[in-house]
Amino acid sequence: MSSDTGQEILGAPSSAEQRDVLRSARFRLEREAHWQRLDLLVARVENAGASALNYHETRDMVAAYRQAMTSLSVARDISLDRALVDYLESLCSRAYLVIYAPQEGVGGLVARLLAHGIPQAVRRSVLPLLAAFAALILGIAVGYHLFSVDQNWYYTFVPGEMADMRTPGASASYLRTTLYDGDPLAGDTLAAFATYLFSHNTQIAILIFALGIFWALPSFVLTFYNGLLLGAFYAMFADKGLGYDVIAWLSIHGVTELSAIVIACAGGARLGFAVLMPGALTRREALRQQGKDAVKLVILAGLMLITAAFIEGVLRQRIFNPEIRLALGWGMGLFWLLWLTLSGRKPRETQGEPAL
Amino acid sequence: MSKPDPDDKRILEIVPPEGVAIRFRIASLGARFGAQFLDMLLTGVIVGVVIFVLASTALFESEAASVLAVLLTFLLRIPYYILTELVWNGRTPGKRGAGIRVINMYGQRLTPHQIVARNLMKEVEFFTPLSMLSTAQGMSGWGKAVTLVLVFGVAIVPFANRRRQRLGDMIAGTVVVENPRMQLLPDLALSAASEASQQAFAFQPAHLNVYGRFELQTLEDLLRDPQKAGSAAEIRKITSTITRKIAYDGLVRPGEELVFLNAFYRAQREHLEKLRLFGTKREDKFQREESL
Repeated sequence: MSSDTGQEILGAPSSAEQRDVLRSARFRLEREAHWQRLDLLVARVENAGASALNYHETRDMVAAYRQAMTSLSVARDISLDRALVDYLESLCSRAYLVIYAPQEGVGGLVARLLAHGIPQAVRRSVLPLLAAFAALILGIAVGYHLFSVDQNWYYTFVPGEMADMRTPGASASYLRTTLYDGDPLAGDTLAAFATYLFSHNTQIAILIFALGIFWALPSFVLTFYNGLLLGAFYAMFADKGLGYDVIAWLSIHGVTELSAIVIACAGGARLGFAVLMPGALTRREALRQQGKDAVKLVILAGLMLITAAFIEGVLRQRIFNPEIRLALGWGMGLFWLLWLTLSGRKPRETQGEPAL
Repeated sequence: MSKPDPDDKRILEIVPPEGVAIRFRIASLGARFGAQFLDMLLTGVIVGVVIFVLASTALFESEAASVLAVLLTFLLRIPYYILTELVWNGRTPGKRGAGIRVINMYGQRLTPHQIVARNLMKEVEFFTPLSMLSTAQGMSGWGKAVTLVLVFGVAIVPFANRRRQRLGDMIAGTVVVENPRMQLLPDLALSAASEASQQAFAFQPAHLNVYGRFELQTLEDLLRDPQKAGSAAEIRKITSTITRKIAYDGLVRPGEELVFLNAFYRAQREHLEKLRLFGTKREDKFQREESL
């Protein structure tokens, strides 16, 4: 009911108290100094960061924060002095924001993410990952088949800018040069090319991820379409007897890049599944829970895309031996696989929880 | 400065671990766009300066510099928002400028995961649609359709929910609110005017049973800034209304209106606070004798 009576008895009566003072005004008089001290400390942290305070001041601030919270709770009940309640509201929320602030260092955060955050998230997403891989492989198979049936499908799938001159009508020798010459771009502009590829691929991956929120379907459709394109592309080269070479050409970066796209698709699928089947949770709550892993999947996809763009833009134009291309590409794939399956396992840890 | 109504749609109540609910005012979308614009301006300037320095050292040709610009904008963008929100507790420089900040809507501290999530989604929700719109000219019919769906899909979300959260905020569990900032105003019941008025007027319990909390606090606003409330004539009118409504039988001489209002404020507050202590909360003049 009333404020803590103990303090009222102990507190020396101030000059104002000796006169007839409202109960709520007395409540305020007794505590105002505490609040103002908290106000000062909070203002210092707001301006100069938590390091501005020494040990004792920090301890005082936390104690004063708790007191102010109690005062706020009491004041809401007993006081009709609006200025007082408003002041306490804002003081408490400011102090709350200062005291409950992020405490992680940036370096430790990155290390933790790489060591177990990302690998664990991937291991919890096995089902969406498999589904995304299936969509991609299905796309490749369908693309390959359609091309074998009718070559004109190629023009339907592959956008002009990407095909350059690599069309079914081109000669085998020309196609060979596209695989082994330093591409249409000279060495000076390799960096430009890599940058272009990076932003292009990133946009596709982001799209695949983001559209997943619409019931996961667009993610799979886009991944399937990516596979379709790849299948037709491969079929065209295979048609001219360049199957092995094009696999090498694609592998060097493609293993990493396509995995990144599949991972982005799995991330999108997890968001989509949250919207589609929230279970006992509200959709918002389900989205929030799935978001934890989805975010990590996206970070991983981003990392892999940067790596792939570097390989594609720089290394592929320098390394022409198909065996080395294969070894490098699948070696990277093995590296990702090992990292994602082995890292961040605690000794006692049981297998990751079910994917969804 | 007016107190936000608890039922106000723009107020978010969160409960920190201490168990006392505190209120934040949800930031307007205008302020958020302003903050976003400032941030884009700032990152743009940073990239521009870096490019200019590199170009002026003549280490790079102009073409390489343009490549670098594209790469830098991309690599700077996400980390800029994540790091600034992490270091300054939910405030990018643009948000500081606009007086808004990100908070955890569950009353805990802001976690790095939340900051990363909402800013990754910013890439999805804001920058990708933006760049797709700028290149929509050359797209096929399907591309245009996808662009349209994406742009509308993400743009409508913040308008469609009460907390003005965008998708990233929902996934991360964050809300953007206004920075709390306020001064401690003196207690009217302790002011000199109140002291002086105490003897001049006496009120009977019947006088004080008319008005409730709302009217009291409206009177408080008036007394804190009588100039703003209007001319002496208006104050005179308010005073006569009050005396009529409460059936005050004493005489208020011309020129003494403010003294009277101060005395009435004090007496009314004392009375209502006393009622509160015994469990009767009278919110306004329409509510009578309701024990809660």
